[in-house]
Amino acid sequence: MFHSVICSESRKLIAQYMLGLDAEVTYHNFYPQLNQFHPLHFFTSPDSSIISKNISCASIGMNTVGIIRAPRGDGKEAIVLVTPYNPKKVVLGEALSLGVAYSVFSLLSRVTWLAKDIIWLVADSQYGEYSSVSAWLREYQAPQFHRVVVNSETCNESSTIEGKLYSGFRRAGTIAAALVVKVAEDGNHFDDSLNIYAEASNGQMPNLDLINIVNYLAVHKQHLRIKVSKMWSLLGSKWLNTLGVVLECIGQYARRLNPQWKFGIPANEYVEGTATLASSMYYQGLGVPTGPHGAFRDYQVDAITVEISPKVSPTKMNRHIDFIFRGGRLIEGVVRSINNLLEKFHQSFFLYLLTSPSKFVSVGVYMIPFALLGAPLPIVAASLYMFSSKTTPQAPVASEVDFSLESWKWINSAKKVFVIHLWGVAVSLLPYFLCRIPGLTPTNNLTVWGSFAVLSLVILFSMLGYPTSVAVPSEAEKREWANLKSVTLSATFIGLSLMSVINFATAEIGALLIVPFCLMARPLMLDIQARSMRTLLLATCNLALGFIAFPPCAFLLLKSAFDSSGGYNISDYWNWMESLWAWNSATYLYIGIVHLPCWALCIHILFHPS
Amino acid sequence: MEFCFLRILKLTMKVLVMLLLFLGNIKNSTAYFSSSSEATMHTNNWAVLVCTSRFWFNYRHMANTLSLYRTVKRLGIPDERIILMLADDMACNARNKYPAQVFNNENHRLNLYGDNVEVDYRGYEVTVENFLRVLTGRHETAVPRSKRLLSDEGSHILLYMTGHGGDEFLKFQDSEELQSHDLADAVKQMKEKGRFKELLIMVDTCQASTLFSQLQSPGVLAIGSSMKGENSYSHHLDSDVGVSVVDRFTFYTLAFFERLNIYDNASLSSLFNSYNPNLLMSTAYYRRDLYQRHLEEVPVTNFFGSVMETIHTDSAYTSLTNKNFGGAKTKTFLGQSFSSSDINSVRNSDDEDQFNNLTAEEDQHDEAGQCIFCAMDSGHLWSFILGNVITHESVDFFVCYGLVLMLPLLVFSTWLSL
Repeated sequence: MFHSVICSESRKLIAQYMLGLDAEVTYHNFYPQLNQFHPLHFFTSPDSSIISKNISCASIGMNTVGIIRAPRGDGKEAIVLVTPYNPKKVVLGEALSLGVAYSVFSLLSRVTWLAKDIIWLVADSQYGEYSSVSAWLREYQAPQFHRVVVNSETCNESSTIEGKLYSGFRRAGTIAAALVVKVAEDGNHFDDSLNIYAEASNGQMPNLDLINIVNYLAVHKQHLRIKVSKMWSLLGSKWLNTLGVVLECIGQYARRLNPQWKFGIPANEYVEGTATLASSMYYQGLGVPTGPHGAFRDYQVDAITVEISPKVSPTKMNRHIDFIFRGGRLIEGVVRSINNLLEKFHQSFFLYLLTSPSKFVSVGVYMIPFALLGAPLPIVAASLYMFSSKTTPQAPVASEVDFSLESWKWINSAKKVFVIHLWGVAVSLLPYFLCRIPGLTPTNNLTVWGSFAVLSLVILFSMLGYPTSVAVPSEAEKREWANLKSVTLSATFIGLSLMSVINFATAEIGALLIVPFCLMARPLMLDIQARSMRTLLLATCNLALGFIAFPPCAFLLLKSAFDSSGGYNISDYWNWMESLWAWNSATYLYIGIVHLPCWALCIHILFHPS
Repeated sequence: MEFCFLRILKLTMKVLVMLLLFLGNIKNSTAYFSSSSEATMHTNNWAVLVCTSRFWFNYRHMANTLSLYRTVKRLGIPDERIILMLADDMACNARNKYPAQVFNNENHRLNLYGDNVEVDYRGYEVTVENFLRVLTGRHETAVPRSKRLLSDEGSHILLYMTGHGGDEFLKFQDSEELQSHDLADAVKQMKEKGRFKELLIMVDTCQASTLFSQLQSPGVLAIGSSMKGENSYSHHLDSDVGVSVVDRFTFYTLAFFERLNIYDNASLSSLFNSYNPNLLMSTAYYRRDLYQRHLEEVPVTNFFGSVMETIHTDSAYTSLTNKNFGGAKTKTFLGQSFSSSDINSVRNSDDEDQFNNLTAEEDQHDEAGQCIFCAMDSGHLWSFILGNVITHESVDFFVCYGLVLMLPLLVFSTWLSL
């Protein structure tokens, strides 16, 4: 009860401030969206009709929305400012972000140059920042007319200033761009800086121009340091530094040969660029939005989160006004730049990886390594097929019919590959049923999931007739692995190609893990029989690659690379997978349907009796 | 005998008058013959100022054009002789921090969009078609006079264009282009229709010089802000307005003109030499092979102002009274034969004088004195028109001699008639 009073009081205060600026103020009520696994909703936004009906007033989120109409504008477009704010637990950072947004909002209510309406959304973040913003956006973009409306009269216990508020949902024009403003809680002790978060769901990025505007205004006008997330563990790594120095030397030498060649960059810049690139690729590959801006991208609106990180922590700060002034000027500049545009951002890139706040790798460049990585797959598949079909005539051919059957031998392998992929689908669907069972810890869940996967795989193999190593294999069986590998490679290639269209970064990381293993996999038995230095090395490589490419191991490796704070728990993997499906990330599907079956097939080839 | 002598006298008088008239007509006809060539007097100035681009971020193009508009107006070209074409209305754009004002400098001292701006073609009216119609004068019948370029073969025209351009084209309105041969064709047509004496084309756009490559007509002088392959840059950004407010080439052109007033005698070559490629960040290019006069001798006010060559006359007042007298007398008679009295005023006075002479011819000989004075005055006027052909000193001399010659004749005739 006490909490709810604070809630309503703080909301009322914000609304009063907004009203003081002659803005149109409304409350927007929403149900918190429960993150559930919806197997069929991977590429659609979750439907709001699956809300459980028994939600009380206390658990309803309430956004406060203020709209300033452009005095001479046509009212067809709008810019959104978002400040996430938890009324139940007010922290100083959030309060400061409200202060920055308010100062910008009050300025914008007076200026004469507005051509687009300004919407200030104070998002109620008690159920998460993302869900409140996405609930408001869903209402804004796709109004639902036959929905169980929360009875706002019963829930709005306070009605002192309600008379001036607009009832119902207020809209402005098409959203041109959105800016989420946050203030970091802890000071970073170096400098006033600005963190930019841009990744939305499934690795979608806002138009690069939006990042460029923020970067330009922050660096050149407000003298803030811009930061994008980096993979910190890479910064200290020796081999990367060495590589950077080598590249720098080559660059200098090349410039001496021809002053036109300017590809050499300083070693430290190279290392920082690589660390940023790795992080950019990881967060895009994850497919989970890095902030509330992700909700806008689902409606093709360009949005980023800017987190202003002051030099000293807000609690110890004694120059709040100066801080608000600086942050406000930055936001004002960005808003004005967007306001001056005639169209939505379209000139610059949507597909890119950041290597620094002002540098990027565009799609035309980053496609090349992926294509080079993927190209060997069909070639090796074809050569393996040729190899197996060439060697089969060595076996005595009884008749013409047999011969034609020989050329259709790959059907057998294809059947196997297909079944394994079906197994992958079943494994990825299992968590849907597991979450229905109440009272299971992540570790329990993971154990059940893992054991089911292994059990079903064993059953499948026994049904398919796994060639037992007891009997001496025939010549045809010996060659069977080549056929199987050929089909596996083709399937991997198709899977990776499809994934590169949906989320390129995932496909790129996945290709890095699975392609070497796929290419190198060959029966260990052959290597052991040969007993040469080379084959033993090959076998070791295969085993190591097989270990790395196993999804939980790959996850743990990546995780250790990103946060050096120790304490790895196997249950983290379950939580990670859970977050992937909760955010409808296509990466989950990729792992379940492409990566895992291909890995299992390669392991199968590895232990194939030859 | 007396009668016979009187007849002879009358005949001689007539011969004398006819001789005078004949001489006058010779001078007059030479003027008419040379009207199509360069010898026509520069009698009036026109300016066509065009901003071809839309949208808020092209604010500077409108500011360029309005600045030029203000300059030529300050230097004496009246509004009715300026055709101003603005493709968009920045002043009333919702993004404009200063509603109904346009500035070309971040100091905001000068509002270019004051009370006294007459925009002839605005918004979507600024098209290639309308532009070519204005130049060539081929309008629909309903187009008002204020939207037409009513120039003649004595006109100096300034054609200023700014916008986004490229190799041999200038973009209009984000949707169409004016190509260099379109411009050249229009100018050629203008020349053949006697719509200008001299034409100065000034273009501030990327690769502006390429727009002049097809020009052929004599009397055309062209200057562009940049060579082929070069960009023309804006001068500075006004962070208060939020966009760039003026282009470099125009900025330095205006800087040149700000130092001038209507009485200054700066030459075109001094304007052209004032462009510094380092400041422009492009190379200003001018094409002068079609232009006959020396740029050093041509004052900039010949194009950017309305300053014409004036001719000193000794007896301005008599000439004026006579002109008034003649005009009053002939108004009803000549009313329909001369339509645009404004432009053709000089030639009109010619004809009035001719008429005066005709009436003098029919007069009786006792009015001959007045007639002779008429003739003398009209001789003055012709000399005013002809200027270069016969200087007015020699005409005075000629007339004085004639007067002296007349006196004994007059004495003789009065003695005879007694």
